[in-house]
Amino acid sequence: MNLNIKADKAQTYDAIVVGSGMTGGWAAKELTEKGLKVLVVERGYELKHVEDYKTAMKDPWEFEHRGKIPIVAAEEHYATMYFSAKEGSQYLYSNDKENPYIQKRPFNWIRAYHTGGKSLLWGKHTYRWNREDFLANAKQGLGVDWPIRYDDLIPWYNYVEKFVGISGQAEGLAVLPDSNFLPPMAMTAPEIHLKKSVAQKLNRPITIGRVAHLTKPQPWHTAVGRASCQFRNRCSRGCPFGAYFSSLAATIPAARQTNRLTIVHNAIVKEIILDDKAQKAKGVRVIDQNTLEVREFYAKLIFLNAGTIGSTSILMNSKSARFPNGLGNDSDQLGRNLMDHHLAIGARADIEGFEDDYFFGARPGSLYIPRFRNWGNDKRDYLRGFGYQGGASRADWSRGATETGFGADFKKKMTQPGPWKINLSGFGEVLPNPNNRFYLSEDQKDKWGLPQIVFDADFGENERAMRKDIMNDGAEMLEAAGFKNVVPYDNPVAHMGLGIHEMGTARMGKDPKTSVLNKFNQVHACKNVFVTDGSAMTSASNVNPSLTYMALTARAASYAVEQLKAGSL
Amino acid sequence: MNRREAVTHVAWILGGVFSAPTLQAMSRWEQIGSQASALRQSGSFLTETQHEIMARVAELIIPRTDTPGAIDAGVPDFMEVMLRDCYRKPAQDTFLAGVGELEQKGFLKLSPDQQTTTLKQVEAETQKTSDSSFWLITKELTLLGYYTSEVGVKASFDYQPIPGRFEAIKIKPGQKDFMYGNQA
Ligand SMILES: Cc1cc2nc3c(=O)[nH]c(=O)nc-3n(C[C@H](O)[C@H](O)[C@H](O)COP(=O)(O)OP(=O)(O)OC[C@H]3O[C@@H](n4cnc5c(N)ncnc54)[C@H](O)[C@@H]3O)c2cc1C
Ligand code: SF4
Repeated sequence: MNLNIKADKAQTYDAIVVGSGMTGGWAAKELTEKGLKVLVVERGYELKHVEDYKTAMKDPWEFEHRGKIPIVAAEEHYATMYFSAKEGSQYLYSNDKENPYIQKRPFNWIRAYHTGGKSLLWGKHTYRWNREDFLANAKQGLGVDWPIRYDDLIPWYNYVEKFVGISGQAEGLAVLPDSNFLPPMAMTAPEIHLKKSVAQKLNRPITIGRVAHLTKPQPWHTAVGRASCQFRNRCSRGCPFGAYFSSLAATIPAARQTNRLTIVHNAIVKEIILDDKAQKAKGVRVIDQNTLEVREFYAKLIFLNAGTIGSTSILMNSKSARFPNGLGNDSDQLGRNLMDHHLAIGARADIEGFEDDYFFGARPGSLYIPRFRNWGNDKRDYLRGFGYQGGASRADWSRGATETGFGADFKKKMTQPGPWKINLSGFGEVLPNPNNRFYLSEDQKDKWGLPQIVFDADFGENERAMRKDIMNDGAEMLEAAGFKNVVPYDNPVAHMGLGIHEMGTARMGKDPKTSVLNKFNQVHACKNVFVTDGSAMTSASNVNPSLTYMALTARAASYAVEQLKAGSL
Repeated sequence: MNRREAVTHVAWILGGVFSAPTLQAMSRWEQIGSQASALRQSGSFLTETQHEIMARVAELIIPRTDTPGAIDAGVPDFMEVMLRDCYRKPAQDTFLAGVGELEQKGFLKLSPDQQTTTLKQVEAETQKTSDSSFWLITKELTLLGYYTSEVGVKASFDYQPIPGRFEAIKIKPGQKDFMYGNQA
């Protein structure tokens, strides 16, 4: 008896955060800084900042396949081949063969099971959502209304942006609200030309991509050991300068500085342990990914930050007498309204001229063209909108493979910068649709005995209608700039998951009958469980989502600690 | 083709390089999953003669001039590693058929001029076909092997592993391309 109690005490914390990625890092930072003793439970291996970025400083010739991934490895990383595709970053992507899932309809599930999660992989594009993003569902009678508005998030955007460090240019646009910016990155000469032409002829603004890179580190950045961006664009191998935002470089070090943080690795959270009588969570049950040993950890407060699919599947796996269909699933909304952004569509062109224009450094970012469709007076036959990322650069030696010729002159020519080329690539909003979903397989399990996830989702009519505009509008802008050989493209195989912005499946809402979480990301029917990653999203906007997840997480953490202190949890 | 396009564009979004070798790689990944893995298991990919032919071909593509050439950069061995590890059987077969044809033509016994003429013919034929031809694979691997090798990088480019800034500049006459070593 006594022994048991001791064991319980040893594993009891004020709060448990599940996942150490983009949002888990924020939960850990906020909760520890507010005085809580926090345990972060991470399913993957321990990845140490800087010292484990083993490929970061390697020169090209040090890679056996010079960046290409061998076929055998490619087969093990099927989904991630779309992104990693490089020898230097492959170690940060999870193996699909070891972590299988089922595609009832095509879905690419890209995972990063290690400390830092996908905050090590992201492209760092960082944008606020706008006012309309939080109103669109209600105005159009789609999904459910957001229980919050843009104004609710303003203080939290401000708060997280300063800590994250975002380089960008203030533009004063309602469609793409400004963040707190560090100095913007430069544009190349053809990009400036495009910006001017498109402003003049089409009245559409183009801005430099807003990316989470320290172009001018502030004291609170250097205080956690981060330094200025070196413009080498080797970010996908991990950044030894801590110059781009990741939980490993920023939020976890901040949480560590409080001395109230503990992290356990290799611990797959299987389920939340529920105290059915009190209708509260007591803790989590975990499986050691190497030994399969099952352990329990207890806390008064639980934050789920296991990534959109991860967090929702933990809720689904947490069955009890009170919640036979998964914790908090009174509404039957768990797993539904899976969203992403649709992409692989846009336009590209060759650029003649600008031969004596060049650039120094490898910019880890691109241009951004904010949404202009269904905005202001513009009305289309589909709902919502899209934006573009892209930019211009000069072709390198690899152009030679498809150019005619070989020999001494050819060899020399390849050492000079090639012609300019440009690409604009669209990101479109995906509507919430209850039939786009994932669920747990009834018979197929993974090697830890957990049910495999079945994806059953696809883009619909609205997305397809929007794609025509994404392609044509992209081409129109390149033509406005006078670029040559403009090629609009639309790739029909672009399916869900490829947008790597998976969202929804445990949405926020006002009504417990139609949503899983309330306006503070709290499970309606189990108040000490908060879900603050992408699964909380009620709609998808068309801008990259992570900044909004971070703002929601900091906001929810602040609320949770108030409630805890007031004795209401 | 579709999947390859998808990947290409995603690579772009992430600020990746849009290059012919990447495109080639895409078409290989296209086959992933749709085909049982069929890798040639033998230790050495090419016979000695074939290896010699390929060394000669690579050297004709990137000859030693006032800077090192393909052989100096270790391209022939690199090609074999790549063919073994990064190409599927259909591409490997296409490649082997191409080397076989050169072997039949007694390529190694031809004069340097005749060898160049032969390769020009091979190149001209390739332009009529599409995708993964012997010539495209050879050229892709030779360029990759050379322009990312230590001697190749140092002799060809202004290598800047840590540029420290990004700025628009004007090009100087005869300026070498910058290389940042971020293609891996
Ligand atoms: C290639 C790529 C590019 C991207 N580019 C951008 C971009 O430019 N802008 C943008 O806003 N977003 C981008 N994203 C998306 C961004 O990475 C995610 O939105 C973000 O990382 C989500 O944060 P998260 O905390 O929800 O999940 P993650 O960062 O994935 O972290 C989840 C963590 O939980 C752990 N975990 C999962 N299940 C369990 C479990 N059962 N038990 C314990 N731990 C568990 C995981 O191992 C992981 O560490 C990109 C993503 C990818 C892959
Ligand atoms: S570009 Fe900046 S953030 Fe990316 S790896 Fe280099 S220094 Fe780090």
